[in-house]
Order: sequence, then structure tokens, then C-alpha cells
Amino acid sequence: MSKIVILGAGISGHVAATNLRRKLSKQHEVVVVSPNSNYQWVPSNIWVGIGRMKSEKILFPLAPLYKKKGIGFKQAKAISFHPEGDTTEPKPYVLSEYVAGNNKGQQEKITYDYLINATGPKLNFEATEGLIPGENKTYSVCTYTHADHAWHGLIDVIQQMKKGKKAKILIGTGHAKSTCQGAAFEYILNVENELRRHKVRDMAEVTWISNEYQLGDFGMDGMLMSYGSMTMKSHEMIEMIFEDRDIKWILGAGVNKIEDGVAHYENLEGEHKSETYDFAMLIPSFSGHGFKAYDKNDNDITEKLFRGFMVVDADYTPKPYEEWSVRDWPETYQNPSYNNIFAPGIAFAPPHSISKPRKSKNGTDITPAPPRTGMPSGITAKLVADNIIDTIKGGKESLHHKGSMGNMGAACIASAGYGLTKGSGVSITTYPIVPDYEKYPKTQGRQLGKTFGEIGLAGHWLKLALHHAFIYKAKMKPFWWLIPE
Amino acid sequence: MTQRISKYQRFKMMNPVIQFFKFIYLSIKIMIVVAGGHGGTRKVN
Ligand SMILES: Cc1cc2nc3c(=O)[nH]c(=O)nc-3n(C[C@H](O)[C@H](O)[C@H](O)COP(=O)(O)OP(=O)(O)OC[C@H]3O[C@@H](n4cnc5c(N)ncnc54)[C@H](O)[C@@H]3O)c2cc1C
Repeated sequence: MSKIVILGAGISGHVAATNLRRKLSKQHEVVVVSPNSNYQWVPSNIWVGIGRMKSEKILFPLAPLYKKKGIGFKQAKAISFHPEGDTTEPKPYVLSEYVAGNNKGQQEKITYDYLINATGPKLNFEATEGLIPGENKTYSVCTYTHADHAWHGLIDVIQQMKKGKKAKILIGTGHAKSTCQGAAFEYILNVENELRRHKVRDMAEVTWISNEYQLGDFGMDGMLMSYGSMTMKSHEMIEMIFEDRDIKWILGAGVNKIEDGVAHYENLEGEHKSETYDFAMLIPSFSGHGFKAYDKNDNDITEKLFRGFMVVDADYTPKPYEEWSVRDWPETYQNPSYNNIFAPGIAFAPPHSISKPRKSKNGTDITPAPPRTGMPSGITAKLVADNIIDTIKGGKESLHHKGSMGNMGAACIASAGYGLTKGSGVSITTYPIVPDYEKYPKTQGRQLGKTFGEIGLAGHWLKLALHHAFIYKAKMKPFWWLIPE
Repeated sequence: MTQRISKYQRFKMMNPVIQFFKFIYLSIKIMIVVAGGHGGTRKVN
């Protein structure tokens, strides 16, 4: 009998838990530890942030589902890792603290045979002075509460524009090393579309600010893609969209301080500049949660488990960009020191960025961190679950399931406006996510047929279809497992 | 110079009938990328 503990109930934690439960008999225990009582389909937060979808539509409570399906659930947050147990507890455990209910504030040593750390990122707003969701006219759409808040901020500005006030809207990244440019990209296009719907577009100046060197970098070093009968660079495609929507852009910008309605940033030229705004949505930097780890005798072994995010089977040897290889990226997401600990989704420490690292003339790193979108988060969680299942069933370690981001495709359907007949979407697929310059030397490390972009109404329908399909899947409705990650 | 979206392209992008077929085409194309599977990069299995 084995006990598998999963930390986090986001895309990767939930995918791991549901697959483990489906494939393992009830004699094995599957326990999810997560501070949020709800599951949320994060990608649809964009629509919550423009007031076109209620947050209730993108979330559901986890406890009733897990109870029905035989998955244990503790509404708690992990605090520290003890992979060898301690002097009183022989089994490995995670020290966790309950955040709700009768035992709120109580701590528990949650023991495990296998541990999946799927705690995603810490939204590190503190890394940028003054970047606080809902303050200084800046907002976030990273969680449904943030997105709700953003909508209230936006409608306020829209009302002011209706009364004749001109407004400046600034959307993008709020730190020199932020990731998730894709989410900000979706939001700016959706906001711009809503301004037109509310007939105030001519009252607004809409600006994209980002740590990317070029538009369309998306933390993935950009891509060469098929677009209709053409082959295009992603920056050309995004430039075309921004020109079409009359969106201005500021690139290579590391935002370092926010004051009421002013974003201060340093650019790659080393200049210190600022941009004023009436409404801003800036993605913070993502960091690890700052977990500590201890051995049996209570010695600090944090560096064996974490380098910000969790250490897995990647090659972390520092090397120059020219020597980066697709083989640096992890395949099984297993911790090299403790083979019963895994970290899929955003929780694993990447070996380096995907985009070429750049410094400003003053030496400030201004480079997008590597994104781990929903699809790779789900795929890596499923393969981790499958390896644990095989190991339990086979009685010996099995790491047969592998999924490097250098040998995995991703589909990114970016909403560009909500509406069944007036909506739009930018559908982009990339293969592989991490460019493989050895395999595809002439096409910027990617396979052209599988790396393509499309713009249009169909993209909106696709995004909406995916919203419903993934919530159906997450609710474990009949045949949910047939829907791929 | 930046490409521009022409009037005809915009018509195609927003026409529900054309986009319905595009929806089917894109769904299949995306499924191919997804179903293309994944694996390691270090050893040939
Ligand atoms: C606005 C937005 C739009 C996006 N749109 C898209 C999109 O269109 N397509 C796409 O593919 N991807 C998109 N993404 C990215 C996608 O949401 C992420 O890739 C995905 O959520 C990562 O999943 P995860 O499970 O690794 O992390 P998360 O979803 O962040 O989940 C982490 C989980 O860990 C829990 N947790 C946190 N701390 C602890 C702790 N101490 N102990 C236990 N549990 C803890 C959290 O409560 C949460 O349940 C978007 C992201 C954002 C922010």
C-alpha cells in the first residue's frame, strides 16, 4: 500500500491526482494538500478581467469532488520538506499548516511514500516596489480574485472615458524577469476589444510594456512559423496585430518601481524611463515559494531540493547561451537526491531561460523567464503520475514516461477578444517548446508545419471550447480522461 | 515594414462560415501537434 501526497491543486496537481486515482486501486492513498478550496481554470481569468465571464464559471470547490472520487484533501499549505523524516518520525513528510476549518493554524507532518510538488509559482509582487494588485492603479489577472478586481478597475476607467476623460492603459510585464507574456498579450487584446465595444476606443492610448527583446518572444525566443501560405517570424505577426489594433509598444523594459499611475523602468539601453497610466495590468515575476528542507537530524538541505523552484533531472551547470542544449531540460521531473519526489508544471527549476539572456548597459538582467503553460504543466504532471503508477504496480522504480519540453509541442490559443460573432483569437502551436537547434537548425529550432499561427473568430471559439472541455475534464465527468492534456 | 491586415483578410478572419471550417481545421491540426506525443531528448528509446 502506497501513499502519494500532491502539493497544489492547480493544473498540474489536479491532473496528477485525478490520474493517480483513476489508475491506482483504492488500497493506495492519494492525498492533495492545497491552500485554495477551489480549482480554477486559470486561462479564463482573462475573460473575468474584462467582465465577460463571472469568476464562478471558472472555478469549483475541490472538497466535494475529491470526497466523491476517493481523493484525500487537506486545505493546508506546505511549509517545509523532510524527505528523510526526523528523529521522531521515521517516514518522509511535509510539514503543513491548515489554512481553514476547525484546525486552522494547526500544523501536521503529512507523511508520504511519493511526493509530487505541484505548487506552481509564488506571484512575487514584492520584487517590484509598489506593484500591488489593486493599488497604484495596477492590477493582475493571475488569480480569479485579482481578475475580478481588475475588471472593477477597468470599468471605472471606461466610465470615466464615457464622460470624456482620455485615459492611458498599460499592459505587460511588471518585472525585468517576468514570464507569462502570453497572458498579458491576451489581456491587452481583450481590453482593446472591450474599449471598442464600449465605444471609447478613441479616448484611450493602449501601450504594451514588456521585458521581451522583440514582440512575440513570449519567453520562448520567438519563433519562425507558418502563417497561411507565408513563413513569418512571431514578432512580425504580433507587430501586424498591434499595428492593426493601434497598440503602441515598449520593449526590453524591466519595470522596477510603481507609483500611483507611474511605471518606472530601465531599458536595454540602460536608460531609466517612466510611463504614466490610468489603468495597468502588469504580470509580476514568478518565484519559488521559499520552502526549506531538512534531513533526519534537522540539518538544512534546502539546496538539495530547491534552487528557487524544485531541483529536478535538468542539467543546471552554468554555461553561456551558445552552449545551451535542448538536453539540459528535464525529462522525468524527479529530484536527483530523493527519487520519490517529483515536481511537474511550474514548480520545477528550469535549467536556464529559453530566450537569449540580455543585460542592460548597466548590467541589469532584462530577460523573460521561461514560461510553462497549461499544456506542458498537464503533460508533465500526467507523466509523473504514470511513472509513480508503474513503479507501484511493478514493484521497482520505473521512469519509462518521459516528456522534455524540448520534445513536446504546445498549443497556445490566445484570446484576442470575447464574443460569439465579434470575438477573435490568435492560435499558435509550437513544436518543440524549447527550440532544438540540432534537429531544426534552419527553422530557429522548431518544426515549421507544427509551428504555426492563425488569427480569427475560430480562435475565440476554440478557446471557449477548451474552457468548457477542461472544466468538464477537471470535474471528472464521464470519460474525462479521454480529453488530452 | 510591418505587414498590414487587409480588408479582405479581415473579412476572412471574421466570416462565421469560413471560420467554422477553420475551427474544424484548427482543431484537427492542434490535435495532431498534441497527439504527436512527447518524449526525452537525451537517449533514443
Ligand atoms: C492569466 C493567465 C492566463 C493564462 N492563460 C493560459 C493559456 O491560455 N494557455 C495555457 O496553456 N496556459 C495559460 N496560462 C498558464 C497556466 O495557467 C499555467 O501554466 C498553469 O496554471 C500552471 O499550473 P501549475 O499547476 O504548475 O501551477 P498553478 O496553477 O499555479 O497551481 C499551483 C497550486 O499550488 C497551490 N499552492 C501554492 N502554494 C502552496 C503551498 N505552500 N502548499 C500547497 N499548495 C500550494 C496553489 O494554491 C495552486 O493550487 C495562463 C496563466 C495566467 C496567469
